[in-house]
Amino acid sequence: MSHETIFIQTGLADKPRKSRWPARLDLLQSTTGLFLALFMWLHMFFVASILVSESAMWTIARFFEGYFFFGKAYSGLVSCVVGFVALAFVAHALLAVRKFPINYQQWRIVRAHTKQMRHEDSTLWIWQVYTGFLLFFLASAHLYQMFFWPEKIGPYLSSDRVWSENLWPFYIVMLLAVELHGGIGLYRLVVKWGWPNAPREALKKVKWALTGFFLVLGLASLAAYMKIGYEHRAYMGEPYTPDWVMEKEANADRGDGQ
Amino acid sequence: MSAIDNDIAQNARQQHRQLRISILRYDPRDPASTPRMQEYRIEEADSMTLFIALNEIREHQDPTLQFDFVCRAGICGSSAIMVNGRPQLACRTLTRDLPNEITLAPLPFFELIGDLSVNTGKWMRGMSERLQAWLHTKEREVDICRVEERMDPDVAEQIYELDRCIECGCCVAACGTAQMRKDFVGAVGFGKIARFRLDPRDVRTDDDFYELIGDDTGVFGCMSLLACQDVCPKSLPLQTQIAFLRRKMAAQGFTSSTR
Amino acid sequence: MKTVMTDVLVIGGGLAGLRIAIAARKRGHEAVVLSLVPPKRSHSSAAQGGMQASLANVAKGTGDNEDVHFEDTVRGSDWGADQVVARMFVNTAPKAVRELAAWGTPWSRVRGGEHKVIINEQKVTLTERTEAHGLIAQRDFGGTKKWRTCYAADGTGHAMLFTTSNQAICHGVEVHERTEALALIHDGGRCYGAVVRNLITGELVAYLAKATAIAAGGAGRLYSATTSAVICEGMGHGLALETGVAPLGNMEAVQFHPTGIVPSGILVTEGCRGDGGLLRDVNGERFMPHYEPEKKELASRDVVSRRMEEHIRSGKGVSSRFGSHLWLDITLLGRQHIEHNLREVKEICQYFLGIDPAEKWIPVRPTQHYTMGGVRTDHSGQSPWLKGLFAAGEAACWDLHGFNRLGGNSVAETVVAGMIVGEFIADFCDKPENGAPFPLTLAREFVQREEAKLAKLLDGGGRENAFKIYTEMQHVMTDHVGIFRQGDALLAGVAHLQRLRERSAEIGVSGKSRAANPELVAAYRVRRMLKLALAVAQGAYLRTESRGAHFREDFPRRNDKEWLKRTLTFWPDEAATLPRFEYEPLDVMKMELPPGWRGYGAKDYIEHPDTPRRQQEIEAIRSQMEGQDRFAVQETLMPYVGELPASLAGRNERLDEPLEAAQ
Repeated sequence: MSHETIFIQTGLADKPRKSRWPARLDLLQSTTGLFLALFMWLHMFFVASILVSESAMWTIARFFEGYFFFGKAYSGLVSCVVGFVALAFVAHALLAVRKFPINYQQWRIVRAHTKQMRHEDSTLWIWQVYTGFLLFFLASAHLYQMFFWPEKIGPYLSSDRVWSENLWPFYIVMLLAVELHGGIGLYRLVVKWGWPNAPREALKKVKWALTGFFLVLGLASLAAYMKIGYEHRAYMGEPYTPDWVMEKEANADRGDGQ
Repeated sequence: MSAIDNDIAQNARQQHRQLRISILRYDPRDPASTPRMQEYRIEEADSMTLFIALNEIREHQDPTLQFDFVCRAGICGSSAIMVNGRPQLACRTLTRDLPNEITLAPLPFFELIGDLSVNTGKWMRGMSERLQAWLHTKEREVDICRVEERMDPDVAEQIYELDRCIECGCCVAACGTAQMRKDFVGAVGFGKIARFRLDPRDVRTDDDFYELIGDDTGVFGCMSLLACQDVCPKSLPLQTQIAFLRRKMAAQGFTSSTR
Repeated sequence: MKTVMTDVLVIGGGLAGLRIAIAARKRGHEAVVLSLVPPKRSHSSAAQGGMQASLANVAKGTGDNEDVHFEDTVRGSDWGADQVVARMFVNTAPKAVRELAAWGTPWSRVRGGEHKVIINEQKVTLTERTEAHGLIAQRDFGGTKKWRTCYAADGTGHAMLFTTSNQAICHGVEVHERTEALALIHDGGRCYGAVVRNLITGELVAYLAKATAIAAGGAGRLYSATTSAVICEGMGHGLALETGVAPLGNMEAVQFHPTGIVPSGILVTEGCRGDGGLLRDVNGERFMPHYEPEKKELASRDVVSRRMEEHIRSGKGVSSRFGSHLWLDITLLGRQHIEHNLREVKEICQYFLGIDPAEKWIPVRPTQHYTMGGVRTDHSGQSPWLKGLFAAGEAACWDLHGFNRLGGNSVAETVVAGMIVGEFIADFCDKPENGAPFPLTLAREFVQREEAKLAKLLDGGGRENAFKIYTEMQHVMTDHVGIFRQGDALLAGVAHLQRLRERSAEIGVSGKSRAANPELVAAYRVRRMLKLALAVAQGAYLRTESRGAHFREDFPRRNDKEWLKRTLTFWPDEAATLPRFEYEPLDVMKMELPPGWRGYGAKDYIEHPDTPRRQQEIEAIRSQMEGQDRFAVQETLMPYVGELPASLAGRNERLDEPLEAAQ
């Protein structure tokens, strides 16, 4: 094995047999992308639970902290999930950046090319580059925050972050970027691997419909958080506790007192 | 059956348009030459193709204008140029399908010979050599006096379908990846591999094909922007074929690469 | 002086040229192919309908063999063909198809069982044998007794060319793309190569070779309406003619294809009619059965083209702004058939006419299509006048086609001649006396001579415009030397061409670049083309009979008595405005098939005095040898097997003719 680096250094790594790594990396790029896109959609449904009720959102947040299994919230569980997503994210970013224009010369050519060609799929790719680049920073920051302060996920604390900590512009940009990137990416995965053998025009319609749906859902949710955050601004930092929990806790307190 | 006559009569009644054709002029062998757009004005004629228009310009306005045509019937693939930003076969492009202002440029990616003329032939030969784009058979010589080997008629038709590629270069000129990576195989190359892979006479296995296209200059470099399929003058099923190759080559990732 | 030395220099990168180069490489010789364009763009790719070879796989081809193919070819040629060459050809054609199959050509295959076809407006059910399932299929073509034309949908030439070109790459054949031979280097008796111009840089290079092969295709661009590609300017013909010693054969024999589309002249394949398509006139009526009750739309091309023009002259043409035309109706074949077997036709109609041929009729008119004339060679493909100069394919007058070529025989000739001539060239190169040293001083003289010619065009201050002369020449040829020819018109045409030739000496080129310069190219080419035009026009004027595609209204009969001979055109004097003509008689007493009625077209002709004698002789031999196999009879009538290279002399196996039984 140690000989391998000598072969690579001398440019003979692919002789007599080509490395299998490009195949594996290509698969990994696609699978991480697929995972992230599907995760993002699920995540959007969780986030959107705020549209149902504050209690619903609280329930889902606590659910992932194992509250309903262990009777107590372990926010470290969320950190674990976030950590896994972050790993996938970093892997995906590293793999995908290989396809980006790597210098100004290339960037200029590609821009001119897509502009002249007026070809939808090529233009969409440029958007993937833009949004991918943005997500590099935005998603990193978001993941960082969620990893270290998972306990701050909740109807009020999240809303406070959106409103009182002035992060709503951040979330708007990230929402747009992530939905565009993920939607285009999933469409690309389908045509790239050739399943199903559907006509691209129809696929693209489905893609846009899904992106539209999730954008609407995302914006509505964000508006809800902003509204709650605005109303909750005076009590910033106070977590939400559903009535039944309060009752339960009150009961428990009473029980303690007895 | 007189629909054509009607069309013709209708056209005749209309006044012919004045076309303004801007053409990229540059002679890379002349140190004094700098790239510029030159505009020519010509009167449109009935059934005028860009073949007719360009020859008219050369014969009556500018004898130095360089461009390539051979069959002028959409069969040989010589006349691929960028028409209003997109690659297509100039010989079979009717001016009536274009606006009054037309911009013509040589195909990008390929070595420029001058004006609209590029050296697709040289690149295609290199591609053929690199991909060993010929039939690899078990026996080097067959007895040609004997009745030929049988082939399923449907398979023969499928191979012909992929064999229709005319190596015009449109797919490569339209490819986003190729614009960035000069060593990219391009859809034309994938088409060749798919064609020989399909051919039961060819003895090569996926393991062999992986050696040819199993990296980022090959099938894993393809970003599936699919402009290749959208501009292919022969409507080859490139999307399906490249996806198919990608699956087959990715499966090779699970085999060992140790020597 | 830059020089390139090789064993075999092939001028032309189409099917014939590439096949020669492959043959040479396989025999261990170096080969360089010169090509005006990337070889896969050669005009061979435009052959659509197919290639004739008597494989006899399909039901309608059963009973086909070399004998039937031979007779069809000779009748098609109106007895102008060299019958020994025709025999060599028909015996090699099946081998060529099978070789290409082994190299990867996706020939369309026979499907065992019943299938429906259209024959003479009737839906007919044919039953293909199960044992033929998967073998190479054949379709019907004009002037043939059997279904013999092997095809790959309607992109046959394309598929063959790509296969052959890929094989050439596999064999490491060097192709020098975008180069043009300007002159052959020779000393009057031996050819040593060519002066070659790089069309990108303009550089002149001397290519020296043991053998030089011209495979540069036809000269369709002598005419304004032609199916030929723009590179088919007869430059290979011109190279030989300008040596002054090597003659061209039968230049007046020019084929007009019945179905060029109007107005662009682009070809739609004979396969349209072969598969059951019909010709219709202004009233929508099918007219060919009135003229040709036996073969109808599928008589030979010269006959169908003449009948079409005749019909137009009788007022039955469809008038349009581009002149009169007729209709080709393939709607009856059905969309399924058109979209699978006539795809190129469909694309051409869609892009150039804006119509769907499954629904509408195609406007067609006879259009210049093929140059039967070419560099006169012997059976081995070598010019008997200039040692070391070979020719093959459309550029050659080998002479397989005589005065009319059958559809499907040209693309077949390219590969067959490539195989045969390629072997002979390899034999030639094997001989030590044909090797180096090359005459470098002579080469230098030729390069300097070409340089001087180019300099005069660029700096000579000439006032004539090359493009104008070019166009004028094309119109003279179309108007005066077309399908119907007539003494006075030909004479006027010749005079006009002579004037153009004089004017062409005064051509000046406005763009002064010595590198890529399209005007310069047009200038030197048109001067050579005018010589060819004069060879065609004057040859047509001198031949006072009608034979095959050469039709004289003032001499409408075929005249075997006086004209059973091949025209040889020399251009010994550069200053002259007319070539010198000689005639090479064809010996009826050696023919396997003496002249007679073709089975279509005009029935009266002036007989050669030897014909009845030879006929009797043949009948005597046949009755004497009754009971013996066809090969023995044939070999007695006209021996030819000895003329073939040993590797190609074998017999051909067929389903009904197993090889063991035959030998």
